[in-house]
Amino acid sequence: MRIVRKLFDSLEPHVAPGAKYHKLFPLWEGMESFFYTPSAVTTGGPHVRDNLDLKRMMLLVVIALVPCIIMALYNTGYQIHHVVEQGGTLIDNWQTAVFSATGLPVETSSVLSCMVHGALYFFPILIVTLIAGGTAEVIFSVVRGHVISEGFFVTGTLIPLILPPTIPLWQVAMGTLFGVVIGKEIFGGTGMNFLNPALTARAFLFFAYPAQISGEVWVAAIQPDGRSGATWLASFAEGAGHLPGYTWMDAFIGRIPGSMGETSVIAILLGAALLLVTRVGAWQTMFGVLVGTLLTAFGLNMMGSETNAMMSLPPLYHLLIGGWAFGAVFMATDPVSSAFTSTGKLWYGFGIGLLCVLIRVVNPAYPEGMMLAILFMNMFAPLIDHAVVQANIRRRTQRYGQRAA
Amino acid sequence: MANARRDSTAYTIGFAALVCLVCAVPIAAAAVALKPRQELNARIDRLTKVLMVAGLMTADESLSADAVEARFDESVVTRPIDFRTGAPDSSVDVKTYDARRAARDPATSTTAVENAARVIRVPKVGIVYEVVKDGQLRAIILPIQGYGLWSTMYGFLALEGDARTVSGITFYEHGETAGLGGEIENPNWQARWIGRKAVDEAGTVQLEVIKGQAGPPADDPYRVDGLSGATITARGVTSTLEFWLGPNGFGPYLDRVRSSSAQGGTSAR
Amino acid sequence: MLDKQTRSVLLDPLFDENPIGKQVLGICSALAVTTLLKPSLVMCLAVTAVLIASNVSISLIRSYIPSSIRIIVQLTIISSLVIICDQVLKAFAYGVSRQLSVFVGLIITNCILMGRAEAFAMQNGPRASFFDAVGNGVGYSLVLLLVAFFRELFGSGSVFGVAVLPLVRDGGWYVPNGLMVLSPAAFFLIGGLIWALREWKPKQIEIEPVVEIELEHGAPASRHAA
Repeated sequence: MRIVRKLFDSLEPHVAPGAKYHKLFPLWEGMESFFYTPSAVTTGGPHVRDNLDLKRMMLLVVIALVPCIIMALYNTGYQIHHVVEQGGTLIDNWQTAVFSATGLPVETSSVLSCMVHGALYFFPILIVTLIAGGTAEVIFSVVRGHVISEGFFVTGTLIPLILPPTIPLWQVAMGTLFGVVIGKEIFGGTGMNFLNPALTARAFLFFAYPAQISGEVWVAAIQPDGRSGATWLASFAEGAGHLPGYTWMDAFIGRIPGSMGETSVIAILLGAALLLVTRVGAWQTMFGVLVGTLLTAFGLNMMGSETNAMMSLPPLYHLLIGGWAFGAVFMATDPVSSAFTSTGKLWYGFGIGLLCVLIRVVNPAYPEGMMLAILFMNMFAPLIDHAVVQANIRRRTQRYGQRAA
Repeated sequence: MANARRDSTAYTIGFAALVCLVCAVPIAAAAVALKPRQELNARIDRLTKVLMVAGLMTADESLSADAVEARFDESVVTRPIDFRTGAPDSSVDVKTYDARRAARDPATSTTAVENAARVIRVPKVGIVYEVVKDGQLRAIILPIQGYGLWSTMYGFLALEGDARTVSGITFYEHGETAGLGGEIENPNWQARWIGRKAVDEAGTVQLEVIKGQAGPPADDPYRVDGLSGATITARGVTSTLEFWLGPNGFGPYLDRVRSSSAQGGTSAR
Repeated sequence: MLDKQTRSVLLDPLFDENPIGKQVLGICSALAVTTLLKPSLVMCLAVTAVLIASNVSISLIRSYIPSSIRIIVQLTIISSLVIICDQVLKAFAYGVSRQLSVFVGLIITNCILMGRAEAFAMQNGPRASFFDAVGNGVGYSLVLLLVAFFRELFGSGSVFGVAVLPLVRDGGWYVPNGLMVLSPAAFFLIGGLIWALREWKPKQIEIEPVVEIELEHGAPASRHAA
């Protein structure tokens, strides 16, 4: 490791302020702090001293995502094999060619085979995301003169997890660029963005190329006649009820069609546990979303409707499907775009839960309401914080005023 | 310039009246002078759409108003019909009658039976267009409308002379999602309809837009595919057809055409 | 040649004081009609024509308008002009007027018209008001057409209805971007344009006083008094 250290030290004068290649400082800094803990620490003043810096925090989120990634690999392959076992066929593309070359069986029972097949779809998307997003990040860092933020690794890991396996790779690149540039960089980079960049990317793709991200794109195989590859949520929205051939337990484990990484509630719960124990993710936000969702869904159940099947979807199902758990745990808790105050987080989360159910149930066009609900509440987060802070100030003034009187 | 006189009440009222008068004259003049031209435009627009769905004009053809009029008169007959019986109704002037407007007026329309296409009112007198060649009925063009995902979709359906086989469909006004439901305006999708059967031998509406794949028209006559991801739009199109081809829409009229063609009357086949 | 003042009245609204880019007026129509170039062009002509007529006529009678009903008089004149404009379009450009639907009528609410009438025509002579109207009309048109160009190119793969990027549906390779057809796309594009404009003419950047102490390189923040 000493060689690496020497390399960085020898390069440092060239990128120091005033030196010839100072413009490339963010690149140097990015690599250097990737290898070594930054030496800059807060000193004096009212700073909290903590080993938890942005880099570690983001790394923790990525670690929390690992179960989801593993399930993404498994389930993407599982769904393909499931469809084939039902009489479907494989798509004629390079993934199929490579998979056949490995000689692995097209069986749902073989975990290894499922994971390999899933990996063939997942990793290309992940790589494209990292390259596209990383390029945008580096360009902005160099032009704007800020350091490369590790926040991007989280965004880059999240994006493939919330996309269908069949999405064209050029669309992944476009979406990532939009999410990173419009969702984050133009507002000044990590910490300044008011929208979640990963969800911004997905929202862009959802509106720009709806045909590739809605309907029957969730399984990378050709469905047999008369069967549809829609998601469970879409199936409920159409009044078809349960997705045929899947049980409640399948949804919990994550063996249902959907965006690659957000189907497995159990994997998400593992990640949630890590985030909560390390306090990287705020329990207030998650709790708020949970309460908001359950109350709204329960209320709509009470109202009932003859024409809208979604009205009677039991509250618990809302938690299982449509990326709800993934959104609540990994998206809503994004420290930058969520509310900042503790009370604010509760309201912010509650708003997400409420809107998510409302969009799913009331708007027939967007059954997948979690993404839109979070983005919508992202915009209200500063307002919520303002209200909370003002209320606090008012209360204290009142208390102070009473004592003085 | 500020003076007391300019801000007096009398001056203000007088000035306001004068401005209104001066402004009203050109507006009235423009409205009166341009009305005939505007009505002609609206009529040519309608005729063009009918000609296109009937296959008598292509999208990239650009014809003068007179040429459109001439081509229309040459082969298309505008036939006002009584919605309830399907019998011809000669009480309206086909040159100026606007069925869409008539449907809004309680005096000239009736409340529709509750339907999935969310058609609220139906005019008492409807308009159908018949393409006649060599004295034989070649095609029937029906104006259709129904609620999709976001709003009402307006279009035309063309049937062959047997009043059963679809020869064309078009939607000229809709608010569906571009790329999903918006595909209803895609000529390639519209071409998938040609040759399908709208109703079965008993006269019941059977044609529907399905998810997944439909076979060629000969093997799979009652199903149309290709609106992937647009479930609600697809359902809207299906219920639009169901309503307008059914007993509360053009059903009675179509029954008449079918029975007369069965007797070997004006049948094209 | 025009004198210096007229030149600035005519040319400033193109870039320095662009109604959309700098004054942020007339955004509503810029969002609604810019999916295709052809209706946008007609919209630009309509707005410019109405703007010229309203600016000149209001300027002509400016000294006779009682101040208490000033706004209502302006509004009456503008809406009369808009109705005439709408009627003319329906008679001579039916197809485009169908596409523009209510947005021709909504020119009445286009802030540029009221804005120029109140801010310029009420204080200046008809000649200067004419040039001001032309300048603002062209400035508005520039932005509208630029936005429409990108939206039509990427949303429908064509320019003025002529296919440039062959669409997949017609056997080509281009998958149209559905977002471009939706109004928010105009927001992003206008945002991008304002960004580009301000990079080019940094004078337009509105700096909040509080930023003054945080500026690097000691750049004076007060150079633009907004």
